[in-house]
Amino acid sequence: MPSAGLEAYRYAFAAMASRHELQAWAPDRAQADAAARAAIADVLRIETKYTRYRDTSVTSAINRHAGGDEVPIDAETVALLRYADRCHALSEGRFDLTSGVLRQAWDFKRRPSRLPTDAEIAALLERVGWSRVEWDDHSIRLPLAGMELDFGGIGKEYAADRAAAILRECGIAHALVNLAGDVRVIGTRPDGAPWRVGIQHPRERAGVIATVEVVEGAVATSGDYERYFEFDGRRYCHLLDARTGRPVGHWQSVSVVADLATLAGSYATLAMLFAADAPAFLAGQGAHYLAIAADGTMAGNLPFSRGLS
Amino acid sequence: MRLPLRGGTAAPVGEAGPEAPRISERSAALIAAALALPGILPSHAHAQTAPDEGVVALRYLDYRDWQPGARRMTVRNPSLYALVPIGSSLAFEGSVIYDAMSGASPLYHDTLSGASGLGITDYRTAGDARLTKYIDGNALAFGVAGSHERDYRSRAASFEWRRASADRNTTFAVGVAATRDSIDSANGVAKNRHRETYDLLLGVTQVLSRDSLVESSLTWSDGRGYYSDPYKLLDTRPDRRRIFAWLTRYNRYLPSPDATLRVAYRYLDDSFGDGSHMVEASWVQTLPRGFTLTPTLRYYTQGAADFYHDPPFPEGSVQGEPYTADTRLSAYGAFTAGVRLARSFPGGVTADVALTFYRQRAGWRAGGGGSPGLLEFSARWIEFGLEKRF
Repeated sequence: MPSAGLEAYRYAFAAMASRHELQAWAPDRAQADAAARAAIADVLRIETKYTRYRDTSVTSAINRHAGGDEVPIDAETVALLRYADRCHALSEGRFDLTSGVLRQAWDFKRRPSRLPTDAEIAALLERVGWSRVEWDDHSIRLPLAGMELDFGGIGKEYAADRAAAILRECGIAHALVNLAGDVRVIGTRPDGAPWRVGIQHPRERAGVIATVEVVEGAVATSGDYERYFEFDGRRYCHLLDARTGRPVGHWQSVSVVADLATLAGSYATLAMLFAADAPAFLAGQGAHYLAIAADGTMAGNLPFSRGLS
Repeated sequence: MRLPLRGGTAAPVGEAGPEAPRISERSAALIAAALALPGILPSHAHAQTAPDEGVVALRYLDYRDWQPGARRMTVRNPSLYALVPIGSSLAFEGSVIYDAMSGASPLYHDTLSGASGLGITDYRTAGDARLTKYIDGNALAFGVAGSHERDYRSRAASFEWRRASADRNTTFAVGVAATRDSIDSANGVAKNRHRETYDLLLGVTQVLSRDSLVESSLTWSDGRGYYSDPYKLLDTRPDRRRIFAWLTRYNRYLPSPDATLRVAYRYLDDSFGDGSHMVEASWVQTLPRGFTLTPTLRYYTQGAADFYHDPPFPEGSVQGEPYTADTRLSAYGAFTAGVRLARSFPGGVTADVALTFYRQRAGWRAGGGGSPGLLEFSARWIEFGLEKRF
């Protein structure tokens, strides 16, 4: 339904080492500012709470006690663990909250002089294994010293959904949250039209490969172009299959439309991890998606209208 | 990039639409930006005699465009232009330009979903050089130009002959240019594709009185090769494009207000179907203390390309048949309004600052029939220039 008298207010901010934006349509700046401030504060709260780059975070506390005592956790953390547990099961072990230690073998910050050996990966895989983590509604314990938990795979999308909920609580009926490319929208555009979300081209920074129209939902993209290195003409991206300890390489990117950013993000990530089986996996979830294969061909059932840029 | 044929009869001016299609949205910003760059398209004196003074000009452009509720593209662009007389009958001109572009979501989109965050930053470098030989009221000019982006390269060469009549009241110009563009899109859709364009220009400039002159030119352009946008899904354009443009300018100096009126009209016919009309008027007012103030107003209207379809993608269309949803090939009208303030200082130094606004709407198309579903599009650019003659 078109809403008259609303103005667009945009906010750009940085968190989780990425750039984010909010767009809120409100009758005046005061209301938009108040809503945006509350939403951004919550994104920063989630980052502070779960980042592995701060000693004071929940993640650091859990990791510090790996192989030792159990660590008490609050309801929010339990909910995230439950969600991660479902992702682990759904992905048949490909997605694993404890796979972060594999970064010790795969450093995507620089081009390596050699690839990790099978032995190096096997040694690290001994410290990977969600099913061995002991946890319940009150506490968690990583059973082996050197094991690590990392909420990076779900924290950002969760924060996007939270930010959207906060904007709505503040009376914003038309808004868009974009956390580093994971998008959650509230309602329609103020003119009643769907939000138009461009899907970034996986090989062209300035390119848009498709457009998807979304009302009250989310679009998330997982791709091999976020962090990667090339070695002997092959691309090794940061998405690692926790079962093999090695990067996946079937898709350049997968974009998924779902009701929540958390869901869209997980479906997209899991699809990347499922490699050739991604279409079957996504069909099984009833997800709308657009996948771009390594050779540039596209697959999917996303109701995209066309690629406009 | 197209190498404009320059000289007594200036290259066509216009909006982004009728220019040769470039490969991505950022280029639309560039075309708009390039129009505001006198350093790239210097307007020459009409006399076919060698210049006796050199020029160095430094310009800086800040371009920004937006749609309702969304800021989009920003371009910052310094450029350098130099004219150097060599002996008494030769002149060398050259310019270099560097673009840094950044932006959020491209036109049409509210935002962008991707794995590597938000935003676009890209760079382009371009330059051109021209050597002009002056012989007995004739001017022979050879030019080359080049432009480089990560996925797009352009090379051009041109030749132009201008001849003044015995009484110097009439100047004829004939020009030819050849351009080769190479497209190597990062997505692999366009691998080592090319486009070749040939231009022919015929022009005449007639001094009507002590205070007025008229110039008129005809330009034919024939291009073959890859015109599609590899970054747009299903975008398929014909591999041949022919453009005919007729541009007429009239300048009149008015002694009592000490001002010059400049009016121009351009008709453009395009084999893609998106023909256009442009009218423009400028008033160059001389002010005390060496100032000049130049307000400019321009109206532009174009039809949609034959193969343009408003979103969404029409059901039943066959992939591979000509199709585009590029808004630059849609039907719309646009107004440009700008003002330039310049001041001459002793010692051949001129400084200027200019502010220009651009707004485009489907509903502003002359006679109606603008493409539905387009958001209003606006842009503004600010320029600073410093020129020294020596």
